[in-house]
Amino acid sequence: MPAREGTYGLLAEFDTPGDLVRAARQARQDGWRRLDCYTPYPVEEAAEAIGFHRNKVPLVTLIGGLMGGAAMFSLETWISVLAYPLNIAGRPTYSWPAFIVPAYEWTILWAGLSAAFCMLALNGLPALYHPLFNAPNFRDGATTDKFFLCLEALDPKFDLSESKAYLQSFQPVSVVEVEY
Amino acid sequence: MAQASHSKSLPADLSAPPFVDGWKSRALMVGAIFSVIALILAFLGQAEDGLGWDHVLRAWVLGLMVTFGFAVGGLALLMVQYCSGGKWGLLLRRPLEAMSRTLPLVFFYWVVTAVFMKKLYLWAAISDPRAALDQGLINEIQAHCIEFKRAMLNPATFVWAGLVCFAIWAYYTWRLNFLARKRDADSPANTPYWIKKFENISGFGIVVYAVTMTAASIYWVMSMDVTWFSTVYGLLYLVEQGFQVLALAIIVSLALSKAEPYKTILRQTEQHDLGKLTFAFVMLNIYLNFGQFLIIWSGNLPNEISWYLDRIRGHWGVIITLDFIFHWLIPFSMLLSRDIKRNKKRLTRVCQFMIFAVAFNQFWLIEPNFKDAARNLHFSWGILEYAVVPVAMTAFWVAYFCIQLKSRALVQVNDPHLAEILEPEHAHA
Repeated sequence: MPAREGTYGLLAEFDTPGDLVRAARQARQDGWRRLDCYTPYPVEEAAEAIGFHRNKVPLVTLIGGLMGGAAMFSLETWISVLAYPLNIAGRPTYSWPAFIVPAYEWTILWAGLSAAFCMLALNGLPALYHPLFNAPNFRDGATTDKFFLCLEALDPKFDLSESKAYLQSFQPVSVVEVEY
Repeated sequence: MAQASHSKSLPADLSAPPFVDGWKSRALMVGAIFSVIALILAFLGQAEDGLGWDHVLRAWVLGLMVTFGFAVGGLALLMVQYCSGGKWGLLLRRPLEAMSRTLPLVFFYWVVTAVFMKKLYLWAAISDPRAALDQGLINEIQAHCIEFKRAMLNPATFVWAGLVCFAIWAYYTWRLNFLARKRDADSPANTPYWIKKFENISGFGIVVYAVTMTAASIYWVMSMDVTWFSTVYGLLYLVEQGFQVLALAIIVSLALSKAEPYKTILRQTEQHDLGKLTFAFVMLNIYLNFGQFLIIWSGNLPNEISWYLDRIRGHWGVIITLDFIFHWLIPFSMLLSRDIKRNKKRLTRVCQFMIFAVAFNQFWLIEPNFKDAARNLHFSWGILEYAVVPVAMTAFWVAYFCIQLKSRALVQVNDPHLAEILEPEHAHA
């Protein structure tokens, strides 16, 4: 990607999640679409406030889990019935109760791995650079106790002075301009 | 704090809404109708195979276990909540207290079981196992087990153990309900003292509950098959009670949220949390049930496996397959969904289905204990009692529960969680 220059967006800082959610809700209602919330812990209502849409992670997790379970169950069946049949206490070679536990473990393992890798693939992490880290208050507060709303310059409504005044109307702790 | 100005305030009237009386009269009507059907079926069954009244009693035990699960399970969850804390508990505390106060009705149900124990329990019916063996009434293993377990399984010990258990549950019910009322009347400054006090009572109470509940489940259900034993049996019932109590508590809170005061205090966040907690019990339940099956299946010992064979062969396999679907697969798949957990109507439907599944599972546990039904699932008028007697018993229980629910304010004041629950959802930290 070519190096970009200019303004990335305007960053408003809030002290409480409640204030952030109210501001985000209002901004979305006023027609803002290129905006994002940054919080030290997951605030589901903030995601809902900016129109967070559904993604494919649950579906991929489900498919991964089912595939993991089916794979292990098939492996056990293949070993016990075809590849290496053993007479264990006179039980049938296809003894499904004994296969359940490893199949169950693999279901969980594969569901977990699918969820984690799908999440990374879809959200673009790990990222080596993000312009917001240019803002000192973001660096210090975003992972501890501050709540941020960013209006991005890509939004057609964006205008440096007008948008700044708009954000000020939510009475944030501060509004700063962030460069690429 | 900035968000303080956005928090809601409690309505002045905290008592249960008037439509709870409507639930009560509907429950009484259902109870009366199903009692009449039960009587008709009993006569039909008696004429058919002479087991009509026996089936009434067996179904009675099912009804006893379901209502006992609500009353004493409610008490247990209340104690767990006092120890764990959490905002979800503030929602459930008063409904759970009302469940625990239905103990007298459950005691009456148990007294009937105790009076007719000779019809239900082989060890009570047969006082001389050797003579019964010679007459061909029982087999060698049963005779041996009745003799060997005589010290525990005899009518006098059954009655005494039951009375002691009920006395203990009654004591904890009285103590927690009495102190909760006192706490509400006290000044908010004493809240830390009350929190500690409830913790101390409940912590020990949970241990006592686990022991008494195990004894009750062994005496009332497991001993119907005198030859079999399982060390996880008490725990199975314990988890089952968590399963059904949470399901009922969710149904009640969501239904109450149509009016004040629950309209104000029920937030989607806590509803979602309760759904997740119920999901945990669904998993724990299949874990223990399958664990017991896997161990007994692996051991394949004649004195243990026959219990499962009684419940799999002769068409019972259909019932256990359905039980697996009802009791685990459907609740699991439904509660996995975030949307269903956050949707009042759908979550209520799932919880209602879960309570049905609990009763269905009890049917599979109880009926094959008897000679005429073991490895032989067959239709008779009597077997329909399982779908009738427990409904009537539970309906009367619901009516009693509604009376108890109406008798107190629905929200516990003097609790630090109250302020949090009145805040808007996004203010949680």
